[in-house]
Amino acid sequence: MFKLAFVETKLLTREPGALFSLLIPLFILVVFGSSIEPGDTVLLPMALAIAVGLVGLYLLPTTLAAYRERGVLRRLSTTPVRPGSLLMVQLLLQLVLAVTACALLVTVAGTVLGAHLPTAAPAVALVFLLGTASMFAVGLLVAALAPNGRAANGFGVLLYFPMAYLAGLIQPRDQLPELVARIGEYTPLGAFGQSLRDVWAGTAPSPLLLGVMAAYAAVISVAAARLFRWE
Amino acid sequence: MAVIEVTGLRKTYAGLTVLDGVSFSVGEGEIFGLLGPNGTGKTTTVECVEGLRRPDAGTIRVLGLDPVKDGRRMREQIGVQLQQTQLPENLKVWEALDLYASFYARPRDWRELLAEWGLADKRDTRFAKLSGGQKQRLFIALALVGGPRVVFLDELTTGLDPAARRATWELIKRVRAGGVTVVLVSHFMDEVEELCDRVAVLDRGRVVAIDSPDGLVGDAHQMRFTLLGDDEVELDGVPGVTGVSRTGNRVVVTGRGDFATAVTAHLARHHVLVSELRIDKRTLEDAFTALTGRSF
Repeated sequence: MFKLAFVETKLLTREPGALFSLLIPLFILVVFGSSIEPGDTVLLPMALAIAVGLVGLYLLPTTLAAYRERGVLRRLSTTPVRPGSLLMVQLLLQLVLAVTACALLVTVAGTVLGAHLPTAAPAVALVFLLGTASMFAVGLLVAALAPNGRAANGFGVLLYFPMAYLAGLIQPRDQLPELVARIGEYTPLGAFGQSLRDVWAGTAPSPLLLGVMAAYAAVISVAAARLFRWE
Repeated sequence: MAVIEVTGLRKTYAGLTVLDGVSFSVGEGEIFGLLGPNGTGKTTTVECVEGLRRPDAGTIRVLGLDPVKDGRRMREQIGVQLQQTQLPENLKVWEALDLYASFYARPRDWRELLAEWGLADKRDTRFAKLSGGQKQRLFIALALVGGPRVVFLDELTTGLDPAARRATWELIKRVRAGGVTVVLVSHFMDEVEELCDRVAVLDRGRVVAIDSPDGLVGDAHQMRFTLLGDDEVELDGVPGVTGVSRTGNRVVVTGRGDFATAVTAHLARHHVLVSELRIDKRTLEDAFTALTGRSF
């Protein structure tokens, strides 16, 4: 199990997609970061939501669906180790990757760009946990439904852009039509983004949005588990 | 002692009967073949035995263990090479062996396997960069890394060129020489003829025969020649002859055992002159056609 985790970590570092998930949000942060006021509370939450969204919607399903497509999970079923172990290892690794991406963003934003960093650590952790859980659940559902790695990649991208738009990550929320913005707030990525902005603005995250994220995480991951095919 | 015991295996997918009462047993140290055209239930059979699929009915024992109930203990002792599996593209050869070795309680030293299977100089090569033959050798090495008592090899040489196929056959013989029982799934007659001690011939989800390749082929031969004169020849009474057919001057004689010598002696005694004399051995393919009533 330890060796499996170690080898999967090595494979992840050889995966260009992993590097992209780290660099794309960082690139966005740095490009827009040059024009922010010190103590900005908007840009960093946006970059964090993008980072978690990329890992959950793009990297996670692509990796898992490719493992199924290539028969890696089936081959593992013939050894004393169960293929479920590989899924667990992958989930943990992708979580570590999401945390790393966010830590990188927070560090750069806090030091170089002088953006605002919230002090309410428990609230930040809770929002991050629920947001990541709901994004990963969507990613798992994509992995369950996609026939192969390439399709998972396509579905992930297809889902990412509308979700990012509804979440106000592509253009600011106040420029979206009122109705779209209202709906967007209750999408997984939208609830995550809004909760992050709340925490950054110094207010407590809305219990309703936290509940929305928890509900997405629970319902969608149950659906993914039921629909997941090992081969 | 039987290493594998399969009795009355049945499996239906969406109303389609894939396995219809498959039974066979494999003895220790055998190379046992499952032979049949594609889509005849070979792979389903072997996947049930490996515990990847659950049969609808029938019993399976591998080393005395039930693949469903004692799956984990069974998987400790078997090695599997599956049809159409790949490894992650960026996994290096040594990492794959090291990783798979870690899955088993008493693995073999993977460095030994690396040398044994001619992969020592590919140690640090990523899976995606290996040739077809190298990938196959790695898959066999991975099937052996747990120190199994039985290995299952499914369509091992499909897609390999003739030289690589021959080389792979030699490797399989070495696996058995190392004391490992081998179950070989194949649709290649020559492969089965070359390697297997015994073969189960599958057709439409049933076992239609179990025998050694020689036993399946039998000792039936065919002899053909052209008569040079217009003599009448009477060969029906010659020892071993089972059939004679004549079209113009072309004669085809089938028979068993040493019938060919008897026929030539008979012809000489009666001063019958012939040319273009040929003796053909029946092939496994002929045997298959005779067993199933359809060509392979």
